[in-house]
Amino acid sequence: VLFDTTQLALQGVISGAAKRHEALASNLANANTPGYQRVDVDFHGQLAAAMGRGAGAASALEGMSFTPTRDTSAGAVQADGSTVDADSESAKLAENALEQQAAVQVAAARIAILKSAMGTA
Amino acid sequence: MSLFGALDISASGLTAERLRMNVTAENLANAQTTRGANGQPYRRKEVILSEVATGGGFGATLASAMGGGRAQFSRPGGVEVAGIVEDASNFKTVYDPGHPDADAKGYVKMPNVDTVTEMVDLISASRSYEANVTAMQAAKQMFTKTLDLLR
Repeated sequence: VLFDTTQLALQGVISGAAKRHEALASNLANANTPGYQRVDVDFHGQLAAAMGRGAGAASALEGMSFTPTRDTSAGAVQADGSTVDADSESAKLAENALEQQAAVQVAAARIAILKSAMGTA
Repeated sequence: MSLFGALDISASGLTAERLRMNVTAENLANAQTTRGANGQPYRRKEVILSEVATGGGFGATLASAMGGGRAQFSRPGGVEVAGIVEDASNFKTVYDPGHPDADAKGYVKMPNVDTVTEMVDLISASRSYEANVTAMQAAKQMFTKTLDLLR
């Protein structure tokens, strides 16, 4: 019960968001690199696929790792062929950070509940 | 911990943008320099940035050496300065017969620096720098909040 699918999914969101932050930070760092193609981490899709496995969800979530991929669907938005739009990257970055903090807060609440059940709170 | 990687990436962005600012400042400072190192007028310099080839590093090497079942994935590595190149465009010529560097017809070769272009580059570098600082602050905040789970 301590590490049920919810806890594992929260863990997935926290580590997935950390990976995605890396990708988005890299996009921002390369905002002035000619021809740079943006990278992103689709941890939402991976988590959704794992959660959809029913009984196998827990093991699927446990063995999960996230890979940054080139976003080939994005068209060039700069004259030098780069697909990085600094504004949209910043927006995604802020959104991603909030999402991670939301997951951390839920995880903290669950830990607090466990602690109070154990009488150690 | 992958968030430290994020800090490194943002730091590489800060370094790159700061260098762009320095080079732009050098161009502006030398906008009227008619005698460069080689006796020619100053040539405008430009920074070429390139993406860091995604490679292992210490953590990845250790992980693969430990033989864990998980595949080691490439990770974004940030940005690096590929080089500083000189702008090959023609020098501007200005008619100023009294100038010590004027040719027989009274024309002086001036550096190929356009101050307006340099100002725009300066703004671009400074805004990009700020964007990287924001990304760094977000990473720091995310890391702190996660660490608070242990309290």
